[in-house]
Formats: sequence, C-alpha cells, structure tokens
Amino acid sequence: MNPKNLRIVCFMCNWVFCDEKESPVSQESQILFDANIVRVMCIGRVDPIIILETFEKGADGVLLIGCTPPDCHFIEGNLYAERSVVLLKKLLALAGLDPERLELRWSSPNEETSFDQILTDFAVQMQKVGVSPLSGESPNEQVLLNVLAAKNAAANFRLRVLAGRERELTENTNVYGEKISQEEFNALTDEVVKAEVIRQKIHILTRQKPLSVKDLAAIIQMKPHSVLRHIVDMRRKGMIGLDRVEGTTPLYKALEAQ
Amino acid sequence: MASSVCTQAKRLPPCRTACPAHVNVQGYVSLIQRGKFKEAVELIRKDMPFPAICGRVCFSPCEDACARLNLDQAVAIRALKRIVADIEREQGRVKPEPIPKTRTEKVAIIGAGPAGLAGAYDLAKLGYPVTVFERMLEPGGMMFYAIPSFRLEKFVVANEIAYIKDIGVEIKTGMEFGKDVTLERLRNEGYEAVFISIGTQVSRRMNVPGEDLEGVVRGLKFLRAFSLGQHIDVGEKVAVIGGGNSAIDAARTAKRLGAEKVMVLYRRTRNEMPALPHEVEAAEKEGVAFHFLVSPKRIIGENGKVKAVECLRMRLGEPDSSGRRRPIPISFSEHQYEVDLVIPAIGQIPEGSCVPNEFLDEEAKVALIPVDPVTMKTRIPGVFAGGDIVSGQASIIQAVGAGKQAAVSIHRYLTGQDLKAGREEAEETTWVKDWEILKKKSRRYEAPTEKTRLSFEEAERFLKETKRKAMFEAFRCIGCGPCSECLAGIDLCEEDKAVVDESRCTGCNTCAIVCPVGAIEKNEEEIAQVNEDLCKGCGICAARCPERAIAMKQLTDENILSCALAAIRRGELT
Repeated sequence: MNPKNLRIVCFMCNWVFCDEKESPVSQESQILFDANIVRVMCIGRVDPIIILETFEKGADGVLLIGCTPPDCHFIEGNLYAERSVVLLKKLLALAGLDPERLELRWSSPNEETSFDQILTDFAVQMQKVGVSPLSGESPNEQVLLNVLAAKNAAANFRLRVLAGRERELTENTNVYGEKISQEEFNALTDEVVKAEVIRQKIHILTRQKPLSVKDLAAIIQMKPHSVLRHIVDMRRKGMIGLDRVEGTTPLYKALEAQ
Repeated sequence: MASSVCTQAKRLPPCRTACPAHVNVQGYVSLIQRGKFKEAVELIRKDMPFPAICGRVCFSPCEDACARLNLDQAVAIRALKRIVADIEREQGRVKPEPIPKTRTEKVAIIGAGPAGLAGAYDLAKLGYPVTVFERMLEPGGMMFYAIPSFRLEKFVVANEIAYIKDIGVEIKTGMEFGKDVTLERLRNEGYEAVFISIGTQVSRRMNVPGEDLEGVVRGLKFLRAFSLGQHIDVGEKVAVIGGGNSAIDAARTAKRLGAEKVMVLYRRTRNEMPALPHEVEAAEKEGVAFHFLVSPKRIIGENGKVKAVECLRMRLGEPDSSGRRRPIPISFSEHQYEVDLVIPAIGQIPEGSCVPNEFLDEEAKVALIPVDPVTMKTRIPGVFAGGDIVSGQASIIQAVGAGKQAAVSIHRYLTGQDLKAGREEAEETTWVKDWEILKKKSRRYEAPTEKTRLSFEEAERFLKETKRKAMFEAFRCIGCGPCSECLAGIDLCEEDKAVVDESRCTGCNTCAIVCPVGAIEKNEEEIAQVNEDLCKGCGICAARCPERAIAMKQLTDENILSCALAAIRRGELT
C-alpha cells in the first residue's frame, strides 16, 4: 500500500512548532504522504463531530498534533483534546473502524521526535491499517450507518456533557462534594457510548421507514429484547414513536424533535 | 478561513506599555514562537534600531510587567531579543535599501547616543534628510564609550549603527556642540528642526576633601578610558563609590584590569541599589566585595597620591523623594579603607559648557534642559531635546523612547500639525483578569522561585544553545494582549470570538468550566455570556458545549470541516 494514496487529514494546533518551515506542507519530499494540514486555534478546538464527519466523508486516517502537556497556549486545551480522543476511539471501535486510524501526537521543541518523524510514524501506522471502508465510490453501508450513528451520538447532549465535564468530575468534586474515580467514569462513559450509538442507529434506521423490533434486531445484529429496551427509553425521551401496528407487530418511526 | 493580516489593536499588552520605546514585544515573541527569527528582528526594528544592544543591556521593564509573572516567571524577553539579533548578525545581515528622501526639510540631531540615533532613525524612515552631529570620533554615545565591552561588545554597537547609516542617516563625527555646531549655524545651513540629545557627560563630584588627588578617577572617565583601550594603572586595591550600573561596570572593569581587591562602597543597602540585580550578582561572582551603609567622608592622600578612603557608617532613615530610605550618618563611626584607586560613580550631570544658556532655567542647579514632557519641545521653536540631557542619567531604552517621541514631534512640527493631539499613554491590558483561575488550572511550571526572572547568565545558557530553546521560551508567552499586530500573515488570528446562541443555551456551565480564561459568565437568566475582552478565540468551549450552542465568529465548525474535506479531496487527486 503506497501511503501516498491514503487520504490523511491532519489537524494541527496553531501554536505547534514546525521549526523554520513556513508550513509543514512545503516539506513533502521527506514525508511519506501529503500532509493535508488543517490549522486550528488549539487542538482542543476540534469537535469530535468534525473528526467523525471527516471519517464519514472518506478519510483514511486523522492525525491530531497538539502541544506537549503541560504547555498549551490555552492552558489545557490539549488535555481536553486527549479526553476527546479516548472517547472518539471508543466510538470508532463501535462503528467498526480501526481506532488506529485516529492518532493524537504531541509536539514540542524539547522533544527528540521531529515533526517529520510524527508524520512518518503515522504513515507507517496507516500503511498497516489500509484504506478506509468508507472511501471510494461505494462505501460499506453498514460501517457508514455506524459512523453516522457515532457522529449523532457525539452531537448528543448526553455524551457531550460527559465529555465536557470529565476533567471537572474526575479531578475535582461535583456540587455534592463527591469525587468520581477515573475507573467509575470510564465504566459510565463506556455504557453511555454503547447505548447512545445503538439508539442513534435505531433513530437513523427508523427515520427511513417504520421498522419493527425484530427488523431492527436483524439489522443491528442484536437480541430483540435489548433493542426493545432501548426503544422504551427512546420513546420516553421522545426520540421515537409508534407508527402503526401490523398484525400484532408494532412498527416504530423516528421523531425529529428530540 | 485564515485572516492574513491582524486587526490593529486599540489596547496594548503590558510589556509593550511598560517599554519606554513601546517595542512590539508580543509581536516578535509570537514570531519567535513560529520560528520566524528574521521577521522578529525586522519587527523590533520597526520600533527601534537597537535589538542587539537592548538584548544585552536593557533593564527590561517589559519583563517586570510581564503578565506571566502572575503564574511563574516572566518570559525572558531580553534574552529572546538578543538571540534573534545575534542570529541575524551571525548569518550576515542583509544591507537594507536606503529610504528615499521624500521630504525637503533638513533635520539636525546633536549627539549620536541612543536618543539621537533613535530619533534620526525614525525621522529617516519618514523620509527626512537627517544629519547627526557627534563630538566623539565614534557614534554610539554611552553605548560605545561607557558600557564596557564585556557587557556590550563594540562590534554589536557598530553593527546596529551601520544599519542606521545604511537606511540613509548621515552621521558626522568630531563635531562638538557649541563649538563646531551651533544653533545659529544650523539655522543658517537650512536645518528646520533640531533635536538635542547630548546626554550627561560628567560624573557627579562627591564634594569631599581629597577628591582631586592623583588616584581618583571618576567613573565615566575610567570607563571611557577602558573603552578606548587606554592604559589605566589600577594598582592593587580599588574602591568604587556608588551603587548604580556605572559603579558595577567600573568595579568589574577594574577587576579585569588586574586589581586584586575591588570593593564597592554604597551608602544604602543592597535593596536600594539602582544597579541591575544580575549585574550585582555577576560582580560578586567575579570577586568584587560589597560594603553597604558606608559613605566616604574624605580621601586621604600621601605625597599627592591616594592612600585611603575614610568612611562613615550609615543607617537608614525615612524614605526620601525617590522612595528609597534616606541614609543617615552615624557619628564617630569613621573607619578607613586602604586603596590605590578611588572611582566615584555616584551619578552623572551634563557638561555645563555644552548647553547654551538660553535653554536653561536660571534657578535650576543642574544644567538639564527643561522641555515639555509629552512633546520634548524646548523654549526655542523648532528645537527639541530628549534623553539624559532632559531626564538626567537614565537607561538606553528610556533614551530611545525620548528619541522616538521627539521624532514624532519634529514630524508634526514640520508638517504643521498639533504637537500634542492624541498623544496619551496607551491603555494597558491583559486578557486574563482573574489570575486565580489560571493559577488553579495551570499545573505546568513549578511554583515561582525567589527570582522573578531569569538572570542574564541563566537566560544565556538557557537560550544560547538552540533556536528551539528560544522558540520554547517564546512559547511561554501567554499572549495576554488582544492582538500582537505581528502582521506576519499568521495562520489564525486571536481576534476570533465565541458567540452563544441564546435560544439553545441551557445554562449547564460546561463552557465556563472549560474556558481557560474565565471569559464566560452567566446572566440573570442563566444564559452564558461571552466577555469579548477576555475571549481569545480558542474555541475549546465550542467543541464541548453539550447543546452545540456556542459557535466561533471566524473559524467556525463549517470552516474547519470544509478545510478537512478539501484535504481529503487533495488526497484523492494524488
């Protein structure tokens, strides 16, 4: 696999050094692939939705380059980015994309690894992973559905509030003076991430046409009773509604106003 | 998405306000962050022509004002300036094109010290034909003749002055004011404005008996002789009197000239010394002894030569007009130090014969020229004055500031504008108002040490090795000004601001938690409000708002996404 053919998007913090180069793009010759660099104000600025959408649109790999902690022009934007990446890797794994496709690397003038080295390392990593199932003319529909669901999950209040509050909750105490341990928090996020992705999948599928629990279970490849449990929750939240009953089988349809 | 030119800042960061010459500190530090060393020097030169000189000997008021002091240590601004200037010189400075003389009014500047040269530089950039008259054979004033070469190398001074000459300033040396040049003659020769910056030339007398004995060499004379490479017999024991930078320079010079024992006698304590702390430390390391709370009463001679200094012990009383505690002599505390050479360095005064009487206040004791403090205007129309000759002995950067102000005044005078209009102090600002937030959030460098800034040697060691280190040091700048006006066409401008969609905000407070600067507050209706003065446009809140109610004005999510998609398409082409 020639890495030149891979579509790699690199988000880079505005404050990351790249020696005296005007832009790292000008140094292509030494790097295995064309680094398509998108400069952002701080690596913490990159919304998880943007990264998932980049994958959805067919990127083979996404590389984030931020400043090595404890240095960040915005105090701790890089730490927020780090948490986002952990969450994103979970979402990617659930969506059936190799989490290796997403990488967060630190760059600092105090470190030995050069900027070129970071790009080259990622190129090697991407060579192993290969082309994304979403790239090209005919993307894998199952994966596409999964990624769309993951994207919606990342846009959902429940996940975002957890992601935004993670450092506050695990490093400080909440308003009741309780401190949540990192393990507890991880277990909680795992559960929420899994549930949210499934619910978003159900939502996307039922938006196209009304489906029964049995149909859904077949498409998502889950046991019908688990699907039903999510549907009960979703009905309570107003995400989904009863469309009609065919024989004895109720068909559900997504509601837009969540 | 990228804004290539920053907006002009209305307010300035504290470092820039603190600098008498208002050098765009934040601008060049942010250029160094990006590794743009050449552009950094050019940016410094926009404001003043002495990056390498100030990088060595400036007392760096910018570092004292640095907002980073609230967190740990100030950014080593002076060392950074030195590094970029030195790198440029080492790599060979490109000779600048002479600036075309677009104006016809000739301007004369008297005295090629920092004030005169800075004024000449600014006027030449405005297109005036400028001539600088200098009494000594080399231009540079105190930078050349007083500051010893171990602090400020002569070739550094020569290089910076060469730059000023290159852009088209004419420097005539060997022309003494009052003798070879007079105001009348300048007027007759067609000069329409004059800037007098002749500085303070003589060390102040101590007014104690025995001051004219052989073996008493006044500080400036001693330093000048050293600068000129003249032979000076320092003997074995040297006493330097005074606590300013000249005194420390003289002591360190005497040590280098072979004196075995050098002592500095100062009438107050170390805390009241006007000398730069790191210079004092360097002198101590070199073996200079310090005696505090002693003041010379008389100098004892033997066969017309100095034998000893008799001193009185002092104690500190109430603070005086300078805010320092006044030394009070203790009776019957006379004691003697045996010395071969006495160097009094207790301040400088103008050489009386240089200054025409028409300038002076009759009742004033010292022959300083009184001027309007804002416009530098003297009582004679068309004649301006600035630098030490107005303020009394001060620093290079203060002189540069005076020269710049005079250049503005002269330009306005020659174009018939109001001299005073709009010349007020710029507003000082930082984007961090609540340092407690930052302190709580910042878990980077260790707690502040006793020293508030890196000493010269430390900074040198710290920065000299590599450019990367310099970039790293520059990175410590938190960019507390609203916009650095670096005009470098940087990728992203910090003038981006967050906007809250009030209809979507649920008041969950997540944005306020993640905001690095505390720019988000909630109003009475529990809706998040962005304080645009504080917001730096990092967008961390926009990426975390659970309701996606926060957007950025310039670098929106859509912008980032379209860049990313363009990147994917570029990937498809190859």
